[in-house]
Amino acid sequence: MARITRRAALGATAAGTLPRFAIAQADQRPSLTIAVQKVSNSNTLETPREQSNVGYRISGLYAEPLIDTDWIGDLSARPGLATAWRRLDDRTVEFDLRSDVRFHDGSLMTAEDVAFSFGERLFGTGPERAAGRASVLAGSVGKEPPAEVVAVARRSFPGLQGINIVRPGVVRYVSATPDVTIEGRIQQNVGVVHSRAAFAATESWLAWARKPVGTGPYRVAELRPDVSLTLESHDAYWGGRPPLRRIRFVEVPEVSGRVNGLFSGEFDFACDIPPDQVAVVERNARFEVLGSPINNIRIMGLDQTNPVLANPLVRRAITHAVDRQAIVDALWSGRTAVPRGLQLENYGAMYLRDWSNPRFDQGEARRLLRAANYRGEPITYRLLNNYYTNQVSNAQIVVEMWRAVGLNVQIEMRENFDQVTARTPGRGIRDWSNTSLFGDPVAGLLRAFGARTEAERNGEWTNAEFNRVSEALISSVDMAQRGAMFRRLLEIVEREDPGYLVLHQAASFTAKRRDIAWRAAKGWPMDFGPNNFRLGA
Amino acid sequence: MLRFLAFRLARAALTIAMVVTFAFIVLRMSGDPAQIIMGADAPPEAVDAFRTAWGLDRPLWEQYFHYFGAILSGDLGRSMRDGRDAIVLVAERIPATLALTIPALLIKVGIGVPAGIYAALHRNSLADRIVMVIAVAGFTVPSFVLGLILVLVFAVQLGWLPSGGQESWRHAILPIITLGVGGAAVLARFTRSAMLEVLGQPFIRTASAKGVPWRMVVTNHALPNAAIPTVTIIGFMVGSLIAGAVVVESVFSWPGVGRLLVVAVSNRDLAVVQCILLLVACTMVVANLVVDLLYGLLDPRLRSAPRQATA
Repeated sequence: MARITRRAALGATAAGTLPRFAIAQADQRPSLTIAVQKVSNSNTLETPREQSNVGYRISGLYAEPLIDTDWIGDLSARPGLATAWRRLDDRTVEFDLRSDVRFHDGSLMTAEDVAFSFGERLFGTGPERAAGRASVLAGSVGKEPPAEVVAVARRSFPGLQGINIVRPGVVRYVSATPDVTIEGRIQQNVGVVHSRAAFAATESWLAWARKPVGTGPYRVAELRPDVSLTLESHDAYWGGRPPLRRIRFVEVPEVSGRVNGLFSGEFDFACDIPPDQVAVVERNARFEVLGSPINNIRIMGLDQTNPVLANPLVRRAITHAVDRQAIVDALWSGRTAVPRGLQLENYGAMYLRDWSNPRFDQGEARRLLRAANYRGEPITYRLLNNYYTNQVSNAQIVVEMWRAVGLNVQIEMRENFDQVTARTPGRGIRDWSNTSLFGDPVAGLLRAFGARTEAERNGEWTNAEFNRVSEALISSVDMAQRGAMFRRLLEIVEREDPGYLVLHQAASFTAKRRDIAWRAAKGWPMDFGPNNFRLGA
Repeated sequence: MLRFLAFRLARAALTIAMVVTFAFIVLRMSGDPAQIIMGADAPPEAVDAFRTAWGLDRPLWEQYFHYFGAILSGDLGRSMRDGRDAIVLVAERIPATLALTIPALLIKVGIGVPAGIYAALHRNSLADRIVMVIAVAGFTVPSFVLGLILVLVFAVQLGWLPSGGQESWRHAILPIITLGVGGAAVLARFTRSAMLEVLGQPFIRTASAKGVPWRMVVTNHALPNAAIPTVTIIGFMVGSLIAGAVVVESVFSWPGVGRLLVVAVSNRDLAVVQCILLLVACTMVVANLVVDLLYGLLDPRLRSAPRQATA
């Protein structure tokens, strides 16, 4: 019988302990666990399938575009996978690619990868490329992208003729029509660059979309649908060694679950914190809540086809009766802002600094209602149960503000957007939001209003002059002329023939351990890059 | 017996067909999966493309017959969210749910039945009152409230157990307790009532008067007769093993069938919802069948009842 001596036992203990210690010494970077309401809406990580706040939050961690956005700063454009870019003409932008970018599989990024990312990846290859029909079952069979991916790609890059490889390290984006927004469009996460070789090696589009191979600071280690996403450090990241060894996003649908998990130490971050929970979290000295207005504006849609709202005077009265700042103060503790109409400051030359929302003026609202001969006819307001943060509270406040000037608005609860926008009698007012994916009205207002947009297709709002001017703005390359056209569009849709009422900018709140130095973005994305994480704050 | 089984199976098939039809109509009439799955920000072209790809642009009746025909041929369809087989998605989640519901069922039966018997045998005593107060509390407190209280105490304040997730066996403790407490309370109340009713019957008095020891009166005469309502409730609990933890799984972020059902319903992911409903209906039907058979085992009068009726 073998005899275990004290010496042997100690030796075995040391043998068992030392390697682990050595491994720990090799990589002492911390790992994070982040609780989110949802990891992925579509159970995939391909950006065209994940065009929502959920997808925007994580995509930048594993994939990057040629032109990045300064999410922590002023939302301006900054070099991403391209070090420089220049306009050759109204239809062409040339990009110098970074030479030291490695994909998560270790291969170097090439111009061919860029061409693939804007070609086969988004639009497919086969004869049915135009419809994306070859992948009826959401990409589970074959590698053609699903039809909805092709549609999103077309919408994101409407004039894209192709990516021309000029020489190694230099590519040109060529648009079929003049387009001053090419640079902005490139900033969208639909246009991130992926590895062509990795795509070729994968078995199906769905398998690829579950584990795309990009260039971001973290690589996808595991996606457990509806459960978690694990990202691991991409140590060869061109921007420097990522500060975290591993990031684990855990799906916790209930707010209470996220906050409790934060308090009990299971989570380091808890996302999607509603404003009324900010004080609850911050009562605990070990935690804080970060957040600020983001590139999304909450609006309320006004349906032209509603018998009462058909009169623009009633809609104008509606816009004058709402005290937006009071809502921001009451429901958001002042932690968000009222924008100057449906535009954001990162619009640059297109930002109209002197523009303002219809002023809060109850007298003017009453005067307009008298002029409209409004006699208290009910107006239906179809409401979802807090799809948007504070949605129900906001609705109750706004309805009271309207009641104060004599408007009779009746709330009707609905379960989903399809029920809200259904063309059934009574459709009148609804909640909506508008995200500017890049700094131009084309990315904001004109995604929702104008010819062939959602408002028109739903039959909620259309205006012939608006459509004409918006088409001209989209194709114009004269910035002064574009600015004037944008002003005219806002005059029409916010003043003369209101299609919506601007409420405030949305805000995103993230609770976290106070000892972690980290800055929140001015948008949905979470940045855990080399310069935005430090322990021991 | 064959006729009995055939009747039960035909009734079960009709029930399942009605469940499938009802779920189809409710889900499809209450929202467009394309709009919901693609999200509010999706371009209309993408939503249209999604509708076409999944046949959602066809008339509703055509979709229904197509779907029903596929089910009859054994094809439960694919998830519209990610294209995977619905049955595979559901099957992946069943072990996680059973990891909660089976231990919870053991707690329900292991605590609820003895507590009910004890309370009945000590009727109006202090012990009876304590058991019933606890049972009423456990019965009336909703599972999501109990779950949150347990999390606050054992995860946030004491730090003994995790608040949610599924990483280790420790993560299962609080959800199992949450599920078990409510069911144990229900069983305790039913068992007590049934026992009290039986203990008041003349045959119990007769057995006692004949000098049968009280322990034997209880185990041989009272318990088998009181078992029928208790077995009915337990049968219902067994039938709920698959989808009986919807709320608790959401509170504790437990990735089981219940959470899948919530996500699938909110996304109008028809194939997945239908697959779960079919599974639940089948489980419930089988559980009811077993309960029916157990009735006959427990009460010989029920076994001979059909024969006597036809004699």
